[in-house]
This record gives sequence, structure tokens and C-alpha cells, in this order.
Amino acid sequence: MKTTRIVVPAAACALVGAFCAIAWHGLDGAGPNAADVSPWIESAEALGARNVVSSIILGVRILDTLVEILVFTVAVLGVRYFLELPHGRAAAEEIPESRLVGVSAAILLPLIVVIGTYVTIYGHLSPGGGFSGGAITATGLLLVAAAVGAERVGARFHEGAFERVEWGALAALLVLALLPVPFGKAPFTDLLPAGAAGRLLSGGTILPYNLLIGTKVLLGTWVIIHHFLRHRGEI
Amino acid sequence: MNGVAVLLALLPPIAVLALFQHRRILAVLGMSVFSLLLAAVFLFAGAPDVAITEAAIGAALSTFVYVLAIRRSGRLVVAACDVPGLVHEERGTVAGLEVDLLERVARSAGLELVVQLMPPDEVLAAVRRGDADVGAGGLLAGDEAAGLCTAPVHLRTAQFAVRRRGARDDAGAPHPFRGEMSDLIGSARRGEPLAVELDLARLLALVRSSAANLDVTRKPGEFGYAFVVAERQRDLLRRLTAEVNLLLRDGSVEGWAGRHLG
Repeated sequence: MKTTRIVVPAAACALVGAFCAIAWHGLDGAGPNAADVSPWIESAEALGARNVVSSIILGVRILDTLVEILVFTVAVLGVRYFLELPHGRAAAEEIPESRLVGVSAAILLPLIVVIGTYVTIYGHLSPGGGFSGGAITATGLLLVAAAVGAERVGARFHEGAFERVEWGALAALLVLALLPVPFGKAPFTDLLPAGAAGRLLSGGTILPYNLLIGTKVLLGTWVIIHHFLRHRGEI
Repeated sequence: MNGVAVLLALLPPIAVLALFQHRRILAVLGMSVFSLLLAAVFLFAGAPDVAITEAAIGAALSTFVYVLAIRRSGRLVVAACDVPGLVHEERGTVAGLEVDLLERVARSAGLELVVQLMPPDEVLAAVRRGDADVGAGGLLAGDEAAGLCTAPVHLRTAQFAVRRRGARDDAGAPHPFRGEMSDLIGSARRGEPLAVELDLARLLALVRSSAANLDVTRKPGEFGYAFVVAERQRDLLRRLTAEVNLLLRDGSVEGWAGRHLG
């Protein structure tokens, strides 16, 4: 027991440290050079983004992405509405997991959260973005849910706060998209400076969009899975 | 042949392999491997963004959902030894009083009852290992070992010391019987020495099927049949307790006892 208490955090820290070292030396700004992807270089360069895909889905095609997020929100709402537990009906009983899963979850969770956050934050520089980063972080939460039980994780993270943050992220996305209107510009116009391509603070609004989408996807995924778990898939 | 072609060629066989797995967990893991390879294909095809998403959602997230769903799609696994009347094989299925009782418990919990027959000494071990949720088959309350709990007694019984009448006293003192009922009946038919302690259901089965001339004395004390669950399965024990008490109150158990034990 005592060894686990030392070894598990040490292993988790080592994994996170190794990932940070690799990211610092190898991955930082190493996305494909915009100049290599000729048809889209102009739009990517104009936004100061290295990741051409990000510059498209969060730049010229931001409307598509926003509608996609709305579709995802409706899906989450549907799950929440139809799988709401009726009064007096207890959640499906927890099945305790083996110790192996618990220890693996303790070691892997920090690494998964760091990778998920990295993929979200560096979405405009390297492959990834809010969608994939949010999904990766949600996998980490799920791993813990499998190890200690979804109800305990839900209680720890306070479901009500989750909901507020989720709606807050959606509202912020819409505000960010409509913010140019009061300034006399068309919606979705990029107000932030493009910055130097390859730096963390560059790419205009791509970074805030990625952060908000990542939060939204993480919490939405958690809500869906948590409701499924509580109901054993029964409706 | 380049790497992408090799990976692409691997995809259909893996999908077919996943499709023909009998264990659901292996099928899910097969699809997870499929997704991982597909992510590699995307990566080598110059679409790292799609690869990351495929790996996160296809290989990790959906696999998780399936694994959790499989764990939850309920089965109540019962490890039981063969005791005619309580748990026995009948025309290819299991029947008996304890099977009827557990069937009710399983149905009320939305689970599917699966009874695995095994030798008596393996029943408790299977429950302790977690291979089975409930141990059954004429287990006596108070008999359980460390790490296990018993549900309330669902049927009163008695213990009997059983000897072959008129035999020389060469079988020693009667000892609690822990073997297979079929072995005992076989040895009684062959006229071998006999000195065992049996509960009521086993004694009935022995008397009915061997027609041996037996000397039976009832042991003093109160005995009762009960189900065994692992100590960590508190919810299951609670449910079992509630259900057994309910079925005792409404007379169902009495009816089943009349039908199965006569």
C-alpha cells in the first residue's frame, strides 16, 4: 500500500515530465509548414496558423464548426432529457473494479489530461484542436469513472458546476462569433491579431475557439457517458 | 508496397476477425485495434488531425463505452453444486428450488440468470475469486469461509448422520459430505461403506435413488440453506436479502419446496 502511494504519483509525474520534454524539444511549432500545403497557404498565413486544417475549420469555415457544436449540444441535451432518472429510482449499482485498473488510472490520468490540454492549446500549430483534445481528456475522466465508479467522479466534480461551465462555453463561443458586429464588421471576422506563425499566441481567434470547443466537448462527452452509465443503456 | 497499403490490407481481416468473435469483449477490442490501424492510415496519408480524432474517439472513447456497457449488461452468475431438488440438471436446463428463487432475484434486478454447475468444493472458491456472483446448491448458513457472507436462510433443513444399516463400523465416524451427489449415490448402490453427514435435500436424494438400507440419526441443532456472496458485493447481498425475505413472506418458497422436494 505504502509503495503504491509513492510509486503511482512518481510514475504519473515521470510520464507527464517525459511528455513535456518531448513536446518542448520536438513538437513545439513543428506542424507542417503552411508553405508546403499550397492551396490553403494564403488563408492559413493570413491567420498566422501553422495547422492548415485549423485555419480552415476555425477560420473561413467557422460557421460550419459552430453549427456542428450546436448539433453536439442538442445531442447532449437529448441524452440529458431522455435519460433523466425518475424520482425514487436509484442509479444502476456500481461494479467495483480491480486494483489493476485503479492503479493504471492513477498513473495515466495526469498524462491523458496533459496530452488532451496540449492538443487543444496547440491546435493552431500542430495537429489536433478542441474536438480531439476534448475527446482525449474525456477519455481520461472515463478511465477514472471505470476505476472508482462514475457516481463518485460525478460527485467529486459537482455535476451542477459542470453544466454551468458547459453552457458558459457555448455562450462564450456565440459571443466570440458575434463580437465583431458591434464594431461594424461582419460576424466571424477575426478581431485578434494574427501574430507570428509558429508562436503559441498566434492564429487570431483560433486559440480561444479551440479552448472553448475543447471545454464544451469534454463536458458534453462526460455528460453523455455518465448518463449512459447510470442507466445501463436502458431507457 | 508502401506502409499505407499494408495497413489498408490489414483492415478487412481485422474487421472480419472482430465480427466473428464469440466473446463480446474480444469483438470490442478487435474494433479498437481496427480504429487504431485506421488512425495510422490517416496519419500516413497526411491527415494527422483526422488521425488524432479517430484514435481518441474510435479507439479510446467508443471502446470504453462498449466495455462499460458489456460490464453492465447484466448477468447474475451463480456457481452451484448439484443437489437434486435444490439445483439439478433437468432435460438440459437447470431446475430446482434455489434456481426458481434466484431466477426471481435476477428478474427483479433486470439480470439474466446463468447457473454454472461445479463440484461443491469449487463453489466457494469461484465466488471468492469473483468468477461467480452467488454460490448456491444446498450451502448451509454458518458454513461460509473468510471473505464471504451468507444471505438469510431461505429453507430450514436438518443434518443427519447416515450409515449403512448392519454394516461393520469400518467407515469411521460420520463426516460432513463435501463431494458430488452422483458419487455418493453410486457408492451407495455398489454397497460400499457409508458414514456421512447429509442435509435433508441430499438425504432425500440418496434415499430415493439408491434404495440402500440406511441408519439415519438426526443431529441436534438448527440448520438452514442460504446463498453465499462475496463480502465486497454489498449491493447484491442487500438485494438478495430483500428478495429472499419477500419470497418467504408471500409463500413462494413454500410452494417451490413442495414442488421440487416433495
